[in-house]
Parts: sequence; C-alpha cells; structure tokens
Amino acid sequence: MKRAVLALTALGLALGLVSCSGMTILSNYRRLENIELVRTITADAAPEGVTVSICGAAGKESGPRQYECSGPSMGVALGELMLMPLGRDAILSHAESLLVGEELAKTGMDQCLDYMERFSETRLDTGVLIVRGGRALDLAAGLTGKETPAPDVIAGLGKNISRMGEGYFFTCREIASSLAQNGCALVQCVKGEEGEKLFEERGELDIRPAGFAVLGTEGGPAYLTEEETLGTLVLLNKFRSKNMDLEVEGTVLTVSVDRAEAGFEPVFEDGALAGIDIALKLEANVICLTGDGALTDALYRKSAEEALSRRILAAVNAALRRSRQLGADFLDLEGVVRRRAPLKMERSGESWAEVFPRLALNVRAESTLLRTFDIVDPPDVAGEEENRSPWEKLIESLNGS
Amino acid sequence: MFRESKNVPPETGEDAPITAAAMEAVFADCYDYESRELHIGGREANRVRLCFIDGLVSGSDVAEQIIKPLTDPGRFGGEAVGSRAISMMLGGSVYVYTAKSRKALGEAVTDLLNGFCALIFDAERTAVTFEVKSQQRRSVDAPKEEKVVKGAKDAFVETMKVNTTLVRRKLRNPHLKIKEFSLGERAKTAVTLVYIDGFTNAGIVAEAARRVSRIEAEGVLTSSVIEENIVDNYRSPFPQVISTERADKFCMNLLEGRVGILADGLPLGFLVPGTFSQFMKVPEDHSAHYLVSSALTLLRYASVALTLLAPAFYVAVAMYHQEMIPTRLMQSMIDARASVPFPTAMEVIMMLLAFELLQEAGIRLPSPIGETVSIIGALIVGQSAVEASVVSPVVVVVIALAGIAGYTMPNQDMGSALRLCRFFLVLAAIALGMFGVATGCGLLIYHLASLESYGVPYMTPFAGAEGRHLGRALLRRPMTVKRDREPELKTGSGGEARL
Repeated sequence: MKRAVLALTALGLALGLVSCSGMTILSNYRRLENIELVRTITADAAPEGVTVSICGAAGKESGPRQYECSGPSMGVALGELMLMPLGRDAILSHAESLLVGEELAKTGMDQCLDYMERFSETRLDTGVLIVRGGRALDLAAGLTGKETPAPDVIAGLGKNISRMGEGYFFTCREIASSLAQNGCALVQCVKGEEGEKLFEERGELDIRPAGFAVLGTEGGPAYLTEEETLGTLVLLNKFRSKNMDLEVEGTVLTVSVDRAEAGFEPVFEDGALAGIDIALKLEANVICLTGDGALTDALYRKSAEEALSRRILAAVNAALRRSRQLGADFLDLEGVVRRRAPLKMERSGESWAEVFPRLALNVRAESTLLRTFDIVDPPDVAGEEENRSPWEKLIESLNGS
Repeated sequence: MFRESKNVPPETGEDAPITAAAMEAVFADCYDYESRELHIGGREANRVRLCFIDGLVSGSDVAEQIIKPLTDPGRFGGEAVGSRAISMMLGGSVYVYTAKSRKALGEAVTDLLNGFCALIFDAERTAVTFEVKSQQRRSVDAPKEEKVVKGAKDAFVETMKVNTTLVRRKLRNPHLKIKEFSLGERAKTAVTLVYIDGFTNAGIVAEAARRVSRIEAEGVLTSSVIEENIVDNYRSPFPQVISTERADKFCMNLLEGRVGILADGLPLGFLVPGTFSQFMKVPEDHSAHYLVSSALTLLRYASVALTLLAPAFYVAVAMYHQEMIPTRLMQSMIDARASVPFPTAMEVIMMLLAFELLQEAGIRLPSPIGETVSIIGALIVGQSAVEASVVSPVVVVVIALAGIAGYTMPNQDMGSALRLCRFFLVLAAIALGMFGVATGCGLLIYHLASLESYGVPYMTPFAGAEGRHLGRALLRRPMTVKRDREPELKTGSGGEARL
C-alpha cells in the first residue's frame, strides 16, 4: 500500500514538474502564441520546381502576413517554409483554400492534391482553386490589403459563389473521390481582376469565379465555359440560385432562379443501357422587368417559363456535349445510373466508356414562375373562383344584385 | 500541605457497585458535577445522595419532580427506607416519566452523562436514575446549507431526540425503527439507526448496524467519523454516504429503502447506500414540475462533464491539438496569449489554484466578508490579471465556467471530489494531451464503476443495472404515474442485498 502511494505521489510530482516546465511528453507541443495560422496556401510552377506561399490570418496587432519559398516539390518547399524564416510554428490544419497557378495546374496538380491528402495536418475539406491567367502567389498578394488578409477575401467568395450560381468550391475530398471513381474531377477556377477599391483596407485585386476546370483529361486541365459551368452545376444538383436575363416577347425579364433540380432515369432496352432521361425542375421569381410586359398575363408568364427552360436546357446540353467531347464523366452520370439501377447495369456487362458515347440523353425542363412581385395587378391565378372565401362571394353577389 | 490519604480508594470500574464515594471518585475534578444529601420523607436517618451534572439537567425539574416529593413526609413515611423507597420511586412516587434502577456504576455514570440525575443508596449499592434533561438546545430552524425553495423548512439540530421526533412526525409508522448505539470510547455519543422494518432490505440494515457498532473512535464529534467508518471504500474521494440536514430528504430516502443514521451532537442525517445518481438529486425535484425537474437533472449531469473536463480539454487543445479549434476562435486565442508570459499549463494550474484559494477564503471567513472576498477575487483580481497579461481571458472564462458548473452539484462532497479529479485530469492533459484526458476519464470511470455501497453498484443504474432503469436517474416521472421502487435496493419482503 505504501509503495502504491509513493509511486502515485512520485508520478503526480513528475507529471506536475514535467508539465509546468514546458517539457511535455507529447512531441506535438506548440506554444499557442508562437503559432502562425495558415489559412491559404498557394502553389506555382517555378524554375526550381514549385513556389509555395502561405497566407496567415491577420492578428490583432500584426497585419496580414504572407511568406513564400521555392523547392523541388510542394512538400519540400512547404517544409522549408515552415522551418526557415518565420520563427513561428506554422500549422496547416486551418488551411481553407489551396490556390494553384495555371502553369502548375498543367503539370503538377497531382503533387498538390497528393500533398494535401497525405500530409497529416492538412484537412481534406480544403477548397482547391485554379488561378486562370496568372500566378496564385500574385493573386494572393494582390488580394491582401492593409487589414484584410487574402484568406478572408477567398472565404467571402466561397460563401457567395453558390448563391451567385457561378461555381462551387470543390474540396480535396471531393476531387480525390471523383478522380478515383470517374478518372476525372472538377475544380473551380478563379481570376484576379482590378476592381473598385471600395475599402481602403482591401487589396489591389478582386477575385472572380472563372468557370470549372476538368482534371484527368489529356494535356492538362480542360476549362469549361460559363454556360457549361452553369449546366454542370445544375446536373450535379449543386445549383442554389442565379439571376438571369430572359428575352420574352420583346422585353427583358430578370428572374432569380432559386431552384434547379435534375432527376435522372436510366432507360434500358434489351438489357442494355440505351439512354438517360433527365428531368429538370426549375423555379424562379421575377426581379425586374424592362419594357412593356404583362406580368399578370398567363401567356406572358408561360413564355417566360419557356424562355427559362430553353436557357437552362442550353446550358445543360452544352455541359453534356463537353463531357462526351472530353471523354470525361465529370458529371458522374455513371455513378447516377449505377445508383438508380445497379442490378441492370451489372447484368448489361458493358463498360461505361463503351456506353457513354452512344447514350441517348433526353433532357426536358419544367419551369415555374412563382412570384411576379406585381402588387398593383396581382396574377390571375387559375382556380381563383374556387379559392375565394365565402365572405368574398357574398359581397360580390350583393354588389351584383 | 497535603497529606497522602491512608483510605482505600473506592472501586470505579464499569461493573463496580454503586456508592456515593465511587461516584465522587469518578467525577473528581469535574467542575460541573454536583451532589447533595437528601433526607427521604424529611427524616435525617434516611439519607440518600442526589448526583447530577449541572447544565445537562433542568434544575427546576429536579427540585419540583424529585426533591419535593422525595422529602415529603406524607409520601415517604417512616418505613420508606432502603429497598422500600427504591420500589416506591420506581412505582411512580416521584413525578419523572423515566426512572431506572442501576446496580453497576458504569450504567449510572452513563445515565448521568445523558442528562439523568441519580439517587444513590449506599447501603443497597443501588442508584435510581431519573431523566430530567435540560431543555437548553437549538430550536429547529430552516436548513442553512441546503436551501429550500418549495418544501419543508425543518432541519436537523444537534439534539438526537429532536431529530428522531422530526423523522417520527413525518413517518407515522410503527415499523419505523430507531435502534440506538453508544459510540466512542470516551465521548459515549448516542447514534441511532433509522429504517422501516419489513420494507428496508434486512441485509442492508444488518450490515449498517454491524458497521456502526464496530466504529472505534474516541468520540463521534465530526461527520467523517461516521462516514469514513461505514463506507465500503474510504480511500475514494467520492461520497458514498448521503448526508443531509433536511429532515424531508432524510425521510424521502427512508421511504425509498435506505437506512438512516443520526448522531447526537451532529445536525446531520446520514443515509446508506449512497449511489452516484442519488447525489445528483435534490428534494426540489419532487416539488417542481416533472419536465422542469428532468431538465434540471440533465443540466446537473452536463455540469459534471463541464466541471471535470473543461479545463483539461482546454489545456489539451491549446497545447497539442490546435487543429480542433475553429479558425476564428484560434486567432482570438493566439492574440490573447501573445502577451502572456507563462506557458498554458502553468497559467491553467495557477488559475485553478487561485480559484480554490478564493473559494476557501470565502468559506472560512464570516459571511459578509467572505462574499466581499469572492467578489473582489472574481471581479477585481481577475480583471486586473487579464489586463496585466498575467493570464489570458480565455483561461479565466474556462476556469470560471468549470467552477460555476461545479457549484450546481447538490452535494458539496461530490463537488469537492470532482474538483480533485479536475486537477488530476488537467495534469494528465498537460502531459499527454487528449490521450491523457481520455486515459484519465477511463481511470475515473473504472474507479467509479468498481465502487459499491452496501452491495449496490455505485454507478447504478448506469452500470450494474438494466438499461430500462436509466431513465429513472436522468428524468422524473409525473407523480400520477406509479413509481417503480429502486430495484437495486431490494426493498420489501424477499431478496437479500448482495453483501
């Protein structure tokens, strides 16, 4: 008993002394105040191999910080960067975005993704972005203002890009998963633009979405147009909302598309996959009307709905065409079909590569204009007679009599 | 100048014959011991010695109820001497409701110490003792430590008889048994075992009686003399005996099948077996709406986790696992820590110690000063420490949160045990981060799960019981729904506790 008490006392004392002296037992001890919180990593092609930079968060007393270093690979360069100039412990666990320059994206995208997925500190939900027409390092530097760090600007775009209907920040996990399953993956592209400097503390550049890039194609990433990007968003069911101008009977109607859902139904003939029926359900609200349009007129509304359907159908068809053209199933149609009809697909025994080029892809869209926001002249809702309250009917009959 | 007495000293052993000289010898050098000679029936030849302890007996009762009838010639005539007089006294000629005939000196001495007075008949080697206790005692008052919002406001006092009366008034049942023990080699404190015969598990009653009777102490002057002697594992910091100053709580537990223990001189009642879930309950749970009570019980369990783990979790995360902290919070923490010169480990330990110091100072000082010290400590010293960059604000928040969560414990002993474990977990976190916290929690759970109280698993119904009883510990059912008895207490006829 005495021995046990002595042993426990000694252990307690040892723990107390060891811990209070800062000599902790675990090797990953880092003093909180020495930590450099990395929120954005950039990677660019360089003569030595790769140039990386890390963008720290803005502290209370210090402004935004950015450090860069070059090396033969991303791992080596980042390793040196964390050891060399800072005098602080850089941790990558809070990295929210990885910006890759267009040049490096052509040849070295694999090593970037490999590093992000295999390094124990980095998170798989880090967003990956390709910088079109420039270096990621320059974009990050341009975004950094006196008080606004580049990661804040990028995070701002990440929050709004889905609402604007102009893209989606794919994470390392999604990209790796898509590459493993489909052999190709989508990555969001961005570009730097000299914008209006609304606030003094903002940087020189503004970040803008620049469509999707498709990884896993020959000769580096293939870049999708704006329309193809829109179609891709709808088919992937990642569309949230977008404002669109529609030409309807000589007027320009601006609508906010708030819902765009794609439903897939594989069609089998003689045991083989013959096509996929794609049904799009669209819902929009009127924001603005330029010209003399009769918003309350059912025919006008129908024309508007048809115009919206045409617009979205065009985008979706463009995305499908591009997918076939590249031979890359970045829309994950195979996955959709296998989920919808796993046994039939198994029995057909055909590979997706054989089936995909000859598939009949029938896309149809059904649009609904929900609100016109015309207070003066409310819409002529079908079945109005039935929906009237008994009180309203009574007043009308009295007026008539 | 003193001269050595040539007389043989009287025998003063427990079983020695009772004589006035022997009694004088036992109480020699006792300032409060009084004795005087009385003449029975007013006849000088019929002498008897009256002895009592001044202060323990009521002087007026002695005069009115004993001396007055005893010296009355009409009542005690010429033949009323010796054994005849003793027989008359025991037969009711003296107006005292309790009268006992004693032959052994030890018995008479014990009676004297318990507020009796003794009439010693030297020739017969006999004493007749009468209970004439003084009524000087603290009156029944509202509980001081266990606040009552909506319930009975009578708390136990230091007098055993008052306490047993309080219990008896709430449980008017002939099966309520109150078994007396005299404990303490020197203090001879009266301790009673209270239980409902035929309802409380006989095994638990027998075991409690065995443990109480074997208590070896000079006296039962503090609660720990009883508590530490009757628990299964006295080394554990966790309380295994429910102690309460509230008579209603005491009775509620008796009705659930527990055994109560009352000690003369202690304004507390003790209850066994004590289980973890029992320490999370307050009598108000039965006064408030059942939904409110259930929510508050759940909150108390959450508080246990918070008070135990908050500082350890902070230390582990801030020192080793920074990736677990959300980015914005991490940045704030880095900024706050930037000007603090001490490592996180030392900062947290310093704050925990400071918190304990403040708490101890607040308890020990008189009430108004204690409160002032707490306020000064919490507000002024804390604020100044943060402004002087001695500690970071996050640490102050974490320690304060853990401390406040600890105050929600209905039982202070449980709160103290959790405070001790909090230190242990913080040290483990300092040394091994989350691995340390996990190991510490594992050891803690192992310890708690291995505890038993009178054959009942300490963690019941969380461990050692059927899952369907889990809700009973966490939630309260409406009073209209028939309540299940606690199966582990094995109340009623049949079934013996595993001892």
